[in-house]
Amino acid sequence: MNKSTLMTTLRYLVSAFIVAVFVFPIAWFGLTSIKPTSAVFNKDKVVVFDFEPTFENYQVTVLGGKKADTASGSNLLMGTSGEGAYDGRSSIASSLIIAISSTFAATVISLFAAYALSRLSFRGSQGYMHWILSQRFLPPIAIIIPLVFIFRDLGLRDTHLGIIIAHTLINIPIALLILKSFFDDVPVEIDQAAMIDGATRFQCFYLVVVPMIKGGIAATAVLCFIFSWTEFLLSLFLTNSIRTIPVKITTFVTSTGSEWGYISALGTAAIIPGFIFILLVQNHLVRGLTMGAIKD
Amino acid sequence: MASVKITDLHKTYGTTKVIEGLDLAVDDGRFVVLLGPSGCGKSTLLRMIAGLESITAGDVLFDDKRVNDVHAKDRNIAMVFQNYALYAHMSVRKNMAFSMRLKKTDKKIIDEKVKWASSILGLDDYLDRLPKELSGGQRQRVAMGRAIVRDPDVFLFDEPLSNLDAKLRVQMRTEIKDLHQRLKTTTIYVTHDQIEAMTMADEVVIMRDGVIEQSGSPMEIYDRPNNLFVAQFIGSPGMNIIECRVTGENGTLYGAAEGLQLPLPSGANVSVGQNIYYGVRPEHFRSSRQVAASAGGKAIAGAVRVVEPTGPEIHVYAKLAGQDICSISRERVIWDPGEEIFFDPDLDHVHLFDGVSKKAL
Repeated sequence: MNKSTLMTTLRYLVSAFIVAVFVFPIAWFGLTSIKPTSAVFNKDKVVVFDFEPTFENYQVTVLGGKKADTASGSNLLMGTSGEGAYDGRSSIASSLIIAISSTFAATVISLFAAYALSRLSFRGSQGYMHWILSQRFLPPIAIIIPLVFIFRDLGLRDTHLGIIIAHTLINIPIALLILKSFFDDVPVEIDQAAMIDGATRFQCFYLVVVPMIKGGIAATAVLCFIFSWTEFLLSLFLTNSIRTIPVKITTFVTSTGSEWGYISALGTAAIIPGFIFILLVQNHLVRGLTMGAIKD
Repeated sequence: MASVKITDLHKTYGTTKVIEGLDLAVDDGRFVVLLGPSGCGKSTLLRMIAGLESITAGDVLFDDKRVNDVHAKDRNIAMVFQNYALYAHMSVRKNMAFSMRLKKTDKKIIDEKVKWASSILGLDDYLDRLPKELSGGQRQRVAMGRAIVRDPDVFLFDEPLSNLDAKLRVQMRTEIKDLHQRLKTTTIYVTHDQIEAMTMADEVVIMRDGVIEQSGSPMEIYDRPNNLFVAQFIGSPGMNIIECRVTGENGTLYGAAEGLQLPLPSGANVSVGQNIYYGVRPEHFRSSRQVAASAGGKAIAGAVRVVEPTGPEIHVYAKLAGQDICSISRERVIWDPGEEIFFDPDLDHVHLFDGVSKKAL
């Protein structure tokens, strides 16, 4: 074995190890979701693969199937209320509605704001970015109580719109920061060339500059989506009946026991939309989209 | 096409004055080059003509119509930027068609125009490529194509060649000049490269610190610089300047400096005791092993530092009265470094500048 093949092998080994470290919790989580309860709670040994796979957990949480007797047989005493308590379908729908809407809103609003901040100078434009970012200085828990009251008074509590607005507001500063830096990377001469070519400011924005930062927009959208999809605290406090997936899953931990099978099934299922979303935009997640516009 | 007139133009950023009371008239169809060191306000001036920069005071007129308040997009100008500023996500064809698409021009006309421009610029084979798939020179040509398809009243160039390598720059220089000769569109071209200015311009406008130092045809400026700045700025290698004081001897005036006596042209407008700058271009400063007869016994001797053959001519650098000077010889001189040789200024081409005002005498 010469030196370069040794290096290649080593490189593969190290990367395989690192990937394994990161993938293991997710894989174990996914594995738990198809294990019968007896395999999850086996006292004698750690069950890895030697179990009868069951899709019952998915049936109940994702497909709304009836909850059959669990292996422990104690479901009737578990203290969660009634039929459909483990049905995650409306949560998935709510999460999708909220994540997609707030991602869209945050990205679009930030896109306009970021362009303005990058290109136009107006009174107060200097400190504007800091002011916007300061919205993120407070931990969400600190704003929860006033937010709950404000949302209640506005009639936004326990509505989809309410959480969409909340998530959008939280996402705007970070989306703005990212998009502004992408706009800043596009030389201002591009705007000027377009304007000399006869474009209005708005045409120059959407026909020329925005297409050039598609990658940045995609990256921003992914971040916003992931935030909204996994956000827990605001969703918990601002809703009663609408439960996003993270909130819903916590209800599977009850005073009498945790339904690990359901938790892992809904959790695993929850990975999928995010995964699809990222797959859809990843083609745009390439740097160098502005290549060729100017002398590099 | 249009003439451009600028009257008493001012531009200030806060308290910094960039342009101060500038007047300029560019006749229809002329190729005018704004030349000056960086920071002289030439780009700002161009951008004010383009409408990209606000005007603090004064007027910009196209065909005697005031355009101060006309938006850049309505001025019917075309501009080529230093960094090309191409639309990276559009093909060459779409880059060129962009302005016409905005005007909702008929598709057939757009195609014709793009074809016309691409054939002029040699871009026929690249129409469907993206800018990133082109070389620097091709990108610059696309930027020019984007400008010419519009039939603009005025072409504005903002240092369009400074990002290209030397060989390409020479080639594009010729192409731009050729293009102007064909299209005859009024052109204002900004550069800090005096060779570009000399080779391309009908008229060169030399700027410094926001004011025009001199304007005129390239050769006029080269032959008769108004002041010391213009004299030193134009020409490469630059004009030799020797500080000296006028002295008289037997009725003949000399410029005296550190053991040198430089002959003055007859009828020079100087008086004894006056401090002057004595300027002579390298090609008018002959070097020789013999003292020239015209020197009248006042040999100008200096030690050779470096000899640089460039091919057609040879540049001789020497120390004279403690100052570095250059002499260009078309003969293949073979001076050795350190050798003492004699210099002989061509009195018909000696430039004298006042020591205080630095204006030509």
